[in-house]
Parts: sequence; structure tokens; C-alpha cells
Amino acid sequence: MNTSVLAAENLAVESRLREGRRLPVLAGISFTLEAGKVLGLVGESGAGKSMIGRAVAQLLPPGFAVAGGALAFAGRDLVGMATQERRALLGREIAFIPQEPLSALNPVMTIGAQFGEHLARLGISSEARQREEARAMLEAVHLPRATELLRQFPHELSGGMCQRVLIAMAFASKPKLVIADEPTTALDATIQARIIALMDEMRHAYGASLLFITHDLRLAANFCDEILVLYAGRAVEKGEARELLSAPLHPYTRCLQLAVPSLSAPARELFTLPGEMPGLTTLQTLAGCRFAPRCPNAGEICRKEEPKLLAAAQGGEAACFRTELTLKIKTGDQAAPAMPKITAPLLLVEKIQKRYRSRHGLFGKTEVLAIDEVSFALAENEFVGVVGESGSGKSTLAKLIIGLEPPSAGRIELCGSDALDRSETARRRRIETAQMVFQDPQSALNPRRRVASIVTQVLEAAAPRLPPDERKRRAAELLAEVGLSAELAARYPSQLSGGQKQRVNIARALCAAPKLLIADEIVSGLDVSVQAQLIALLRRLRSELSFALLFISHDLAVVRKLCERVLVMRHGKVVEQGNTKDVFGAPQHPYTRELLAASGG
Amino acid sequence: MIVQLLGLFGRRLVVAIPILLIVSALVFVVLRVLPVDPAAMSMPPNATQAEIELKRQEMGLDRPLPEQYAIWLGRTVRGDLGASIHFRRAVSSLIAETLPATVELALLAMLIAAGLGFAGGLLLFHLRGTWRGEAADLGSTVLMSAPDFLWGLMFILAFGVLWPLLPFTGRLASSFARPVHTGFLLLDTLIEGRPDMFLDALKHMILPATALGLAFSVPIMRVLRSTLFEVEQADYIRQARLRGVSESRILLRHALKNAILPTLTLMGVQFGFLFGGTLLIEVIYSYPGLGNLMVDAVRNADLPIIQAVALAYAAVVLIINIVVDGLYLVLNPRLRSAR
Amino acid sequence: MSSRPVKKALGFLRSGRVLVGAALVGIVLFSALFAPILAPHDPQEQNLVATLVPPVWSVDGDPTYLLGTDSLGRDVLSRLLHGARVAMTVAVLASLGAMLVGATLAHLGGYFGGKLDWLIGRAVDVWMSFPPVVLSLVLMTGLGAGISSVILAIVLVDWTRFCRVLRAEVLVTRHQDYVAAARLVGFSHWRTLTREILPATLPLLITLLSIEMGIAVIVEAILSFVGMSVGANQSAWGQMIADARQTIYESGWNLLLPMLAIFFTVLGFNLLGDGLRRTLDPRLLQAREL
Repeated sequence: MNTSVLAAENLAVESRLREGRRLPVLAGISFTLEAGKVLGLVGESGAGKSMIGRAVAQLLPPGFAVAGGALAFAGRDLVGMATQERRALLGREIAFIPQEPLSALNPVMTIGAQFGEHLARLGISSEARQREEARAMLEAVHLPRATELLRQFPHELSGGMCQRVLIAMAFASKPKLVIADEPTTALDATIQARIIALMDEMRHAYGASLLFITHDLRLAANFCDEILVLYAGRAVEKGEARELLSAPLHPYTRCLQLAVPSLSAPARELFTLPGEMPGLTTLQTLAGCRFAPRCPNAGEICRKEEPKLLAAAQGGEAACFRTELTLKIKTGDQAAPAMPKITAPLLLVEKIQKRYRSRHGLFGKTEVLAIDEVSFALAENEFVGVVGESGSGKSTLAKLIIGLEPPSAGRIELCGSDALDRSETARRRRIETAQMVFQDPQSALNPRRRVASIVTQVLEAAAPRLPPDERKRRAAELLAEVGLSAELAARYPSQLSGGQKQRVNIARALCAAPKLLIADEIVSGLDVSVQAQLIALLRRLRSELSFALLFISHDLAVVRKLCERVLVMRHGKVVEQGNTKDVFGAPQHPYTRELLAASGG
Repeated sequence: MIVQLLGLFGRRLVVAIPILLIVSALVFVVLRVLPVDPAAMSMPPNATQAEIELKRQEMGLDRPLPEQYAIWLGRTVRGDLGASIHFRRAVSSLIAETLPATVELALLAMLIAAGLGFAGGLLLFHLRGTWRGEAADLGSTVLMSAPDFLWGLMFILAFGVLWPLLPFTGRLASSFARPVHTGFLLLDTLIEGRPDMFLDALKHMILPATALGLAFSVPIMRVLRSTLFEVEQADYIRQARLRGVSESRILLRHALKNAILPTLTLMGVQFGFLFGGTLLIEVIYSYPGLGNLMVDAVRNADLPIIQAVALAYAAVVLIINIVVDGLYLVLNPRLRSAR
Repeated sequence: MSSRPVKKALGFLRSGRVLVGAALVGIVLFSALFAPILAPHDPQEQNLVATLVPPVWSVDGDPTYLLGTDSLGRDVLSRLLHGARVAMTVAVLASLGAMLVGATLAHLGGYFGGKLDWLIGRAVDVWMSFPPVVLSLVLMTGLGAGISSVILAIVLVDWTRFCRVLRAEVLVTRHQDYVAAARLVGFSHWRTLTREILPATLPLLITLLSIEMGIAVIVEAILSFVGMSVGANQSAWGQMIADARQTIYESGWNLLLPMLAIFFTVLGFNLLGDGLRRTLDPRLLQAREL
């Protein structure tokens, strides 16, 4: 008996460009998902992992199409299937759990209306029975007040609740296959852990197979039975989940594993994989193994021939000619950071508060205390991390310190002078003392300026008459400092990759040679290999330039890697602060413990 | 929801009253810098300077401007809009006669604009990505370049003169005696129980209302089209597709419901413009409404009428805006619920 | 890749809308500039023995009057050409004026926010509660007839069109991090406004300007139609329509020709605006219709 629920055989997807050119996006993808199992598809953005999920529903983005191979659901060919027939499967036998739960529910329809619509399609026509069934499903995903919930609109729910609703809808039809595309990426760490646990519970209870698409190798290893690692549209490694993590066969898997900072393992250097995954067009001209240009083990043959996915002696499959070298890729132990001499504090924050007033309803006005009596000091050349979940006030804190918004109460001192002084001279002085690197490089870089002009913006304001040559020279210097090639100077931000944008962002802040750098979530949303590069960059710059860093992040492991001290924030308050080693090693506050547990520490 | 609607209306009225006050003050000031002397105009041509001066005093034109405004405002609040210089009648009764006619015309035109706008927007969206879609899109730009009064004249030329299908002057054939109940002719003819008269009144309204409605349907269809484009990219649409919801249901139940909201905001503005558009359409179709009254008053420098009619226009526009805001509240749950 | 400006310029030329729009506007502008040379007759010259002559392609056409004559025997072609002068003068001056007022207020209000923005917002509310036609009629009553009054009235009425739409765009831009970043690297407010915000709003501004020129042509036509624009000794399209309405049964052409002139001029400006919007900034949301 055929127990395979989803089977891909040499599946290929291509992008069809206007001029009739076709670029392969995915090629030679083969896997089998057995009944009741979980298969993980792991890869960085652009690896093509989401295309597989979308190919199942034949809802590829415009311009993309399946170009070859087979994709079969329970023995039925999905590629050649008539649209009507496929639609009959969707939502019944094949269910999807989305990436952004908040936007995956229709904002103008109640939960009940959307759930009802789904149940009606499943053949439950009476509204009373729909309500009954919906309530039972919502209770199955542990949502309290189910009856009330059905009358509510998505915006009245949190992201985690929305995801629970969507999971309930997905399992309502008792599907054979559930496809979850990065289902927890948009959620906070503590909620992430609960959603993963819920999906595990539901798939066991309903006997569904799960295709789990993620960028997080460790998460996949914990949750899946089998993992397929994708790189630039090719499967590079396939194997049993735990084995794949403990003894990877492919150098890419190994590099990924070593690039992720850990909360528990002894401190070691992160592996920095050079460069970035090549884009579709670049790949066309690439001969040999697609990973070769970045691979530390690449040899002669790797640049000539493309390796096939082959079974290895110790079990598992890898597309690599030199698997024997993979485990030789190692990183050194991290040298204990030289504790900076604590001099006079560079930044002194005393009991600052920030209130926001918001109107809602008819006459209702509420005050939200975004920052509640936060005090801390930061010494010269010290790296301090601020951790907390979304809504904890981390970003507001950054805005208050840098002066983008005034605090409602309290004092901030920078270099011994009042940072809240609104005068123009004080502002000029602050520019040379503190700079900020913004979270979203998309929004932080003016799309109409060239890179050279962006990184030297400080000069434009301070010395408008500076000869252009001088400015160009400084731009080249800065680009070199952040590890970007000089030829990027003439580009526009839209022509840069995410990692490059973030480097430009850092270079601009460095132009003023500030004593304090405030970085707001600058590595979140980036691929792990790029994230490791940026962490290495910040550490190198620290030794070369000497500045203090206030590093805001939701990722505890990254903070552990980078900062000596850490502040843990929750609901606008600092609940715990101290040396990173102490706080993460022996957390005092229950919330810190919860955060650590959720981050897999 | 009803409580929230009432609350919204209450708040909007509170805002609307100062706006109307400022509007009236603005109009007042603008009209007082007029180069002609309304007192002189209201007198027979052989009147002496002394008589004109006496008239000026009688009309209060010799007092300082703020005082004149205060007096005018005091009377207006009591419902006394003064007397027309030219028609020698109470302005309030002139407005009472013409306002319903204009509102009736505007409502019919709005209905046509909304109907055509939604149908056209859905069609443009449906044709997206095809050469027909491009052509229809270009066509909508072309249509947008013909303002309401050009449509009006074109219709007269086409359906009134070249191919006489429909009447294009007045509200009713002269053979009928106009019934007066509410002032809304379509309603009055029905109250009277005269379907023939109703039909004739409707025939008189078809050309002007279609001219107006057509002109203002184009922006509506274009916005609906582009909002649908945006909504189609939304995650919840993809998720609905992944649940196997049929395409027609996705368009009508999921996408349209969301796309209506920005379209509605635009319709509020457009309907304000449309109501102003009745002015010229009325002149072109000799339709006895506010517009003809206004243009006559402007030609005769009949200040009390101009003042009052301008205020009437502003009041109707404010009411349209309030109604649209109310609709928005009803259709958008994000505004409705207090978390 | 320094080919971006070149690519942009190419896209510009490729866009058929911009080309057709520019051509239409160019023709009208040319007629306006050279009307005295191009016009075969004096637009005011009456020939009472040749009234209501149909255009030359009709059976009774007369080659001396290519587009026929009106009820007073004036040459329609000459009147149309001279009418273009009035239309284009108003279009250019009035829309530039409205843009200057509206864009300035939008940028100041949107950027600085606070009381200033509130005040501007309320002023726009007051203005928007008037249908534009009604407000311009009231203003014309106060200002008196004449072409400069028409221009002033359009500026005073239509600045809100710029202000409303641009202010929203300024707000969107203002909340981009790069604007905050510019302040943090020491840009003055003036420099931030002119170097960071204005370049972002410029495509929309140019588009609006083009569309406003079309609107100004329409408003001038309306005002001259009700006799509030130029005097009887000058010719304007709206005036020609008003005259031709009297003789609609005798000559449809007299009515149709000035209508076509208005339509094609407005179409030119709209195509230009629509095309510019597509070429200058494809990311610009189409939802921001007028």
C-alpha cells in the first residue's frame, strides 16, 4: 500500500520573464512525505522553499510555473490536475497554515463568518451546526471564550490567537496534508514555542502529515522527522532530522549550523559564510556546484561539475563531492571579550517615562505607558543589549535616547551634558556623540540617493561646501570599513541586497564617528549567514573604532554573542539587568526564564 | 453599532456647525468687497442719490462689516434669509422651491455614478492583464477628460436635437400642472397617483442625471479597480484561495468588501463635487434648481440669494460627508469596535 | 549600473500616454502662442451676410470659413485659436499658483505637524465643504469678471486639491526612517524638507500639476459659459458654447467644435499626467485618484 501523502519527483519550477526568457527557480527536487510524518524544508530566503508549498496549490506567484517533474498527493498527480479537481482538494484534504496570521484573516469579516464559510464548504450547511463545530475546533486549539471569539474581528485578536484560529480552520476538515509556511516567524519567541507545540498536538490528534517550511534549521530539527535542505533552488541535503543537525553531510548545512548563535553551547565564534546566495540571473552563469563560490571546502571539481543528491554511507543524502570534509569546518572558541574599563558613564538614563495618549471608541481616551521608569548607565566602549518581545518598549527607548521623541519624564545625559536640551548647538553636539542604525533598511535608506551620498550625509549637513572629491573619498573609506566594495558607491539602495543595505545603514551612522551607536533590531529579518556576517562586522568595528553600542534585539542568542551587559524589558519596564553571562546563566526574574526557555536555551 | 453611529453623527454635527459659520463669514466678506452697489441695483434707475443712500441704510450696508454679519447671522438662525433684491421675494421660499429639485437630481446622478462606477471598476479589474484591460484603462482616462457639462451638452445634441428621444428643458412637460407636496417631483407625482406624470418627470431627469453620473463614475471605477488590485495581493485573499474558496466568492465576498472602503472615501469627495456639478447642468437643461437660482443671482448681483444658496450648497455637502462617514463606520469593523 | 537615468528617459519616451498627451498639449499651446498669425480672420469680425455657415466639409461649406461661422458671422476657427490663448493662459498661471499655495501648505503642515497642520487641515475642510464651481462663482462675484479674476479664483479654490493629496504623501514620507536619519545626521528642517521629502513628493506634484491644468481649462470654460470670464471683445471656448447653444437646431457644429477643443485639451493634460505618474514613479499608488 502506498503510504506517501506528498511525493515530489524531479520537480522543477521556473520563472518566465517577459522577453520569453526562462530562469529555473527550482530543479531536481525529490522527496516523499509519508503518512503521519513531518517533513521540513529548510533554506534561506530565495532558496525556493516556499515555491514548493505554493506548487502544491498551483498558486505560484505571477510569472512562475511548474516546468517539469511530478508532484503527487496520495498518488494523484497535482501538476496536471484540472483546476476544479485541485480546488476540491484545497481546504479539504490539503490545508495551509500561513506565515502572517494577522493578515491572513479577512479584516472585515468576523472569525465566525470566515470559519462558517469554510465549514459550509465542508458540507455543514446549518448555521447552528457551523457555530457548534467552529466552537469545538476553537476549543481544540485551546482558545478560551470560543463563542465570543466567533463574533470578533481579526484585529481584535493577537497574532498568536489568529494563528490558533487558522490552525483550527486548517484541521477542521481532518486533512491528510497540512502545509505550514514559516508559521511562527512573525510571532514572539514565547508564542512561537506554544504554536509549535500546538501544531504537534493537532497533527497527532488528527493524523495529518505536515510539510513544515522554515529558515530555522534548529527548529526544524526539533520538530520534523526528516529534513530537506535547499540552497539556490537545489536540494543539497536530505536526512533524518536529528542526525542532519548533529552530523551534517553538506558544507552548507554545516555552515548554517555554525552561523546560528546559541544560548546554551559554550561560546564559540560564529561561522561567517562569505557573500550571499546568488540571485536567479547570476546563477545562470554559474558552472558547477551552486554553493562552490562560498564553500570553504570547494575544490577543483566543485567548480566544474554539479553534484547530484546521493546517499552517503552513514545514511542521509547530500549533493556534495567532498562530504568527508564537511565536519572539518569548525570555528574557534570565542575569546572572552576584553571587559572595557568602566570610565565615566557615556550615557546616563534616569527614571525616564514615555506616555502615549490614544483615542478610541467614542469619548474614550487611554494612556499607554510605553516606558515606565527606566534607568541605566552605559560606559564608553561598552556593548549593552536590550531584549524583550514586541511591545516591550525597546524601540521607544531607542527613540527617546537618540532624541527622536521627548520623554514624558526623567533625565538623559550624554557625555555629561543634558541630552534633552532642545537647542540647535546641543543638537549639533549630539550628532557627533550618538548615532542610530535603523531597523528597516528599506525605510531607512532614501531610495533616491546613491550609496555614496547616503553614507556621507553627515558631511552634507556639517560641511555643505566640501569638494565632491573629498566626499567621494570619505564614502570609499566608509564602504571599505563596513566591508562593501567601492563599486557599490554609485548604486541606489534598491539595487542592494538586504545585508548590503544594512551595512550602508551602519556606514552612515559611523560617518560622524560617534561614541555611541544605537542599533534597533538590525539583524532581525536577515538570513542567518548574513546575520553572522553583521555580528562579525560589529565586533571588528569595535576593535578598530572604539564606540559603545546599545543593541536592541528580540534574539537572546545574538545578544549573548555580542554584548557584555543586557537589559531585559517587559511592558516598558526593565525587569532584569546585569552581565550577559549572569542574566542568561542564572536568570532571576521569571520573565527572563520564560524568554530563555522559549528561545531554546 | 447604532450608538456609535449616533455618536459619530453627533460629533460630526459639532464640527459641521463651526465650518458652516466660517463658510458663511467667508462668503459674507467676499461678497461685500463687490464692485457693484446692491442698493443702487435694487432701485429704479431714476432714483436719486439720497434715495439710494436711504436704501443703503435700510439694508444695513452703512454699518461696519462685523456688525452686518452679526445681524445677518441673527436673522439666518431665525430662518429669515432676507429678501431677494431682484425677485422681491423671501429668499427662504426661493430656496425651499429649488433645493429639493437639485437634491433630487443629485441623488439620481449619485445612484448612476455609483452603479456605473462599481460595474466599471469590476469590469476593469476583471479584464486586468489583457489587452482589453489596457484598452479599457485608456478608455477610462479618455472618459475622465470629458467634464459633466460637456456630457450634458453632448446628450442634448445627440438625444435632444439630432435624435429627439428625450426632453432637455425643465422638470416637467408644460401640459402637466406640477403637484407640490414634498418638492421632490418623483415622489410628488407618485403621491398624486399619476404614473404618466412620474414617467414624464423621470424622462426630464434622465439626460442631466446621466451626464452628471457618467462624469463622476469614472474616478470611482478607477479607484475601485486599483484598490481591488491592491486587495488581491493581500494575504487573506491568498489564504482564502488556499482554503479552496471559489474565485467569484473571493471577489464578491472577500475582496470587494475590503476594496469598498477606500472607494467610499473617494465617493464622499466626488459626491461633493457632483453636487456642485448640478449647478451648470441645471443651467444647461434649464432645470429650475439651486444652480439656476445661483447663476441668475450672480448675474443680478442679488447678494441675499448668493449668500443663502452658497450656504445651502455647503450644508448639503457637509451632510453628504457625514452620511459617507457613517457608511464607512458601518462597513469597517476596525473603526467600530473599541478594544 | 549608472544607466538608471537613461533607462528612465527611455521609459519616458516609450510611454505612449506621455507622447500623445504632450502632442495634444503641444498643439494647443502652439495655437495659443501663434493664434494671431494662424487665424485666417479677426475673431471679432462679423459678417452678417454669412452667418451660421457650416464647416467646409458640409455641402454648403465655404472655403473662406474652414470651420464655418457663428450666428454673428464670426469665423469659428479664428475664435477657437484665440480661445486657446485664454484657455492656456488660465491653465498655466492658475495651476502654477494653486500648486504653489497648496504644495507649500501641504509640505509645511505634513512635515511640522502640530497646530499648523491642524489649522491647514481645518482650512481644507472648510474649502471642501464648497463645491468648487459654487465657490468660484462666489469669488467671481466678489472679484468681478475678467481673466485675472478667473486665475485668482482658480488659485483660491483649487489649492486644496494639491494640499489634500500632497499632505498625505508628505505624511507617508515623513514617517520613513530615512527622514529621521537625515535629522539625526544633522540636517536642518529646511534641508530635510528640500532634500529628503520634496524629491519623494515631486512625481505626484508634477502629475497633479498636469491634471490641474486640465481642470483649470474646464473651470475657465464654465466661467466664460456663464459670462464671468473674458469680456465680449475676446473669444473663449465657454463663451462660444454659450453662443452656440442659442442656435443649436441650426448648427450643431458651432456647439461641437469648442466642446471638442476643450475635450482634447483636457485629454492631453490627463494623458500627460497619467503617463507621468506611471513613468516617474511606478510605486505610486493608483488609489490616490483625484
